Amino acid sequence: MPLSRESLMYLSMARCSEPQRLYRRLEGRRNSDVVHECRDYHTAGKNSCFFNKNNTLIWVSYNITVVATNALGKTYSDPLDIDVVYIVQPHPPEKLEVTVMKDQGWPFLRVSWEPPRKADTRSGWITLIYELRVKLEDEESEWENHAAGQQKMFNIFSLRSGGTYLIQVRCKPDHGFWSEWSSTSYVKVPEYLHREKSVWILVLVFSAFILLLLTWLIHMNSHSLKHCMLPPVPGPKIKGFDKQLLKSGKSDEVFSALVVSDFPPTTSNYEDLLVEYLEVYMPEQQELMVDKGKDHDGCLKSIGLASDSDSGRGSCDSDNLLMDKSGAPKEEQQQQNQEGDQIGKETQGPKEAWEKEAMPCANEDVVSPDASSEKVKTWPSVFSPVTPYSPLDPHNSLEMHKQHCLSNTQFPPGSPSSDHYIKEALQSSYWEVCFNNNQPYPQTEVHPQLQAHSDRNISAVNDRNAPTGLLLPTRMTEYVEVQRVNEENKVLLHPIPSGHSREKACPWVGQRDDYSKVKGVDSDNGLLLQREVVEEESMEMAGAAESCYTSSIAFTTPKPTACSPVALPVQDERVLAVSGYVDTATVFSVHT
Amino acid sequence: MQLETILPVCSPAHKQSFVLCVVAMCRAVPINDLIYRASQQSDKLHALSTMLTQELGSEAFPIDRVLACHTSSLQTPTDKEQALQVSESDLLSLARSLLQAWSDPLEVLSSSTNVLPYSAQSTLSKTIQKMQEHSKDLKDGLDILSSKMGPAAQTITSLPFIQTNEIGQDKITKLLSCFRRDSHKIDSFLKVLRCRAANMQPQVC
Repeated sequence: MPLSRESLMYLSMARCSEPQRLYRRLEGRRNSDVVHECRDYHTAGKNSCFFNKNNTLIWVSYNITVVATNALGKTYSDPLDIDVVYIVQPHPPEKLEVTVMKDQGWPFLRVSWEPPRKADTRSGWITLIYELRVKLEDEESEWENHAAGQQKMFNIFSLRSGGTYLIQVRCKPDHGFWSEWSSTSYVKVPEYLHREKSVWILVLVFSAFILLLLTWLIHMNSHSLKHCMLPPVPGPKIKGFDKQLLKSGKSDEVFSALVVSDFPPTTSNYEDLLVEYLEVYMPEQQELMVDKGKDHDGCLKSIGLASDSDSGRGSCDSDNLLMDKSGAPKEEQQQQNQEGDQIGKETQGPKEAWEKEAMPCANEDVVSPDASSEKVKTWPSVFSPVTPYSPLDPHNSLEMHKQHCLSNTQFPPGSPSSDHYIKEALQSSYWEVCFNNNQPYPQTEVHPQLQAHSDRNISAVNDRNAPTGLLLPTRMTEYVEVQRVNEENKVLLHPIPSGHSREKACPWVGQRDDYSKVKGVDSDNGLLLQREVVEEESMEMAGAAESCYTSSIAFTTPKPTACSPVALPVQDERVLAVSGYVDTATVFSVHT
Repeated sequence: MQLETILPVCSPAHKQSFVLCVVAMCRAVPINDLIYRASQQSDKLHALSTMLTQELGSEAFPIDRVLACHTSSLQTPTDKEQALQVSESDLLSLARSLLQAWSDPLEVLSSSTNVLPYSAQSTLSKTIQKMQEHSKDLKDGLDILSSKMGPAAQTITSLPFIQTNEIGQDKITKLLSCFRRDSHKIDSFLKVLRCRAANMQPQVC
């Protein structure tokens, strides 16, 4: 039975169960048994009675009863004792205002209201406590209540961007009943970018950028990464095999190429190679030549080492290689030098003969190792007697003592035309190089093997240019020196600069004879060199090719073995125009 | 500290000016805070008594048609207009008198809980104990406050409670009803006083 202290007191009654029309009467009684009958049954609605302020006093107990009367009699309801002051329900707050305000870019709602007009809060006679509730306009949203105490203003934060809110407020006296909810106020929150969202967007953009950067970096370094993570597996390479041939797809050529080249590769007896070494012709100016040769070698240092690990093109300057290998080859070299000296001395006599007949050989320090194969020949070569050796064959029946300096140049292996040249070389004249028989090593065993490999050796000659073996006229005497023995037991020779030919003064005739091939080994353990005509254009060595070395193709036949007398019977009349040298790279291997 | 010497005599003739005078004089002592604190205590007191009467059931408290409390003799305003015309000192005096009148009955009530049914005993005893505490605090605060408000506030009307023998259950309920009304009166008076003293703080009222 809510009452309003201020203005009115109204009572509402429950309907009686009797269907008959009732005569209702409300009586209000105070302490003094004064009964006040209700006169207003309409103001407060149906089944109600309204007692105005004149009849209601505070801090006084009233007793109220309802009397139902009909024709049969009267009925009194149970009395209700009340004190007006305890049952006050105020009117709802008024002038509800909601505004959107910004706090550092973030919006919030400021709700303000007024107490009901009829509540005298100014005097303190009634103290009101407020409560408000907020809701989004969605159907699923629930009301959110907030206690505001005695204040008439309230802030609401954490709003949804762009949402519409409903707000209501109510009040109650400190010891009374809650009023009804005020009328709803609608407010729309403007759109704003939530800070968390903006942070996430920033993080996303940043990570995307980082990802792009990483992708670009990986792409740029893909090659090196690939190299690092998937190191290239050295594939098998068939020496003397022409890859281009394979790509061309003609099986016949492929097979023939296989046959022609020195496949299967022969194993080399490096030990023999180390022990046996060529006896080379050692002229008087041996040391000089040696030095010159070494200098010559030095000039070839500029020839770049092939960097390809699989490439057979090692340093064109085997001397350099020797030096690169921390001195050990050096010692070997020197040791061999000494040996060579010894040998040289021994062969002084015949050397003179040689000198007459030997051809000058341009010292070419083309030290390209076995270029036919692509493997780097880092064999600490048997730097045997160093000095130029002239094909010596005191026992040889060869009339011509012509020394060809065959340059052991680099040439790309597997040149397509190599097989042609090989065949040609087979028929060409050849030199027979025979080693000095002063060598302590047994020659007999060398010989058959040398012979056995003759063909192969010849075939191993894989020049790009047509090596036309030709013997030089006796006019020119060239000296070669064994530079080193590569790992295929090939003695690499390089020309020792003769008196007239130096590093820089290597005349470069267009076509030269190249005697860098050993055609075979004759019965006397003589190396049969093959003369080739070298075209000029070969400068395949890594660019640094001076004119001081021929561009003749380097080729190696397997296994230089030492056979005692080194005889280079010059059988060809052609003069080696430029410096060439006998390349003992085409030494035969000891065993087959 | 002798407040009487510090405080000049403020004329209580005009309510507003009196309060302002008191406030101005007692700048060092925050009267507003004292009144606020007192009103809070009275609010709690009344809340307790209301809760007690409601918990024990209305049937336990049949209000007498003639609810003759021992404090009925004290003339108090019967409506708002009358209440707003009473001066602060009188309001304070009335409050203090009423409060003083209930110290003894509360003692009697606390010792008479065994009369009530067992279920109500614990509630009654606890609540009565709390009410005594709040009543004591309020009394002390009003004493201090009255000392700052001049001699008129010091007047306390004596409302003796005479009950020698044991009170029955009906008596208890009647006493509780009377106490509820008187606590409401005290609360109302102090809140009116609070609003009057907080002219500089309109948000309170």
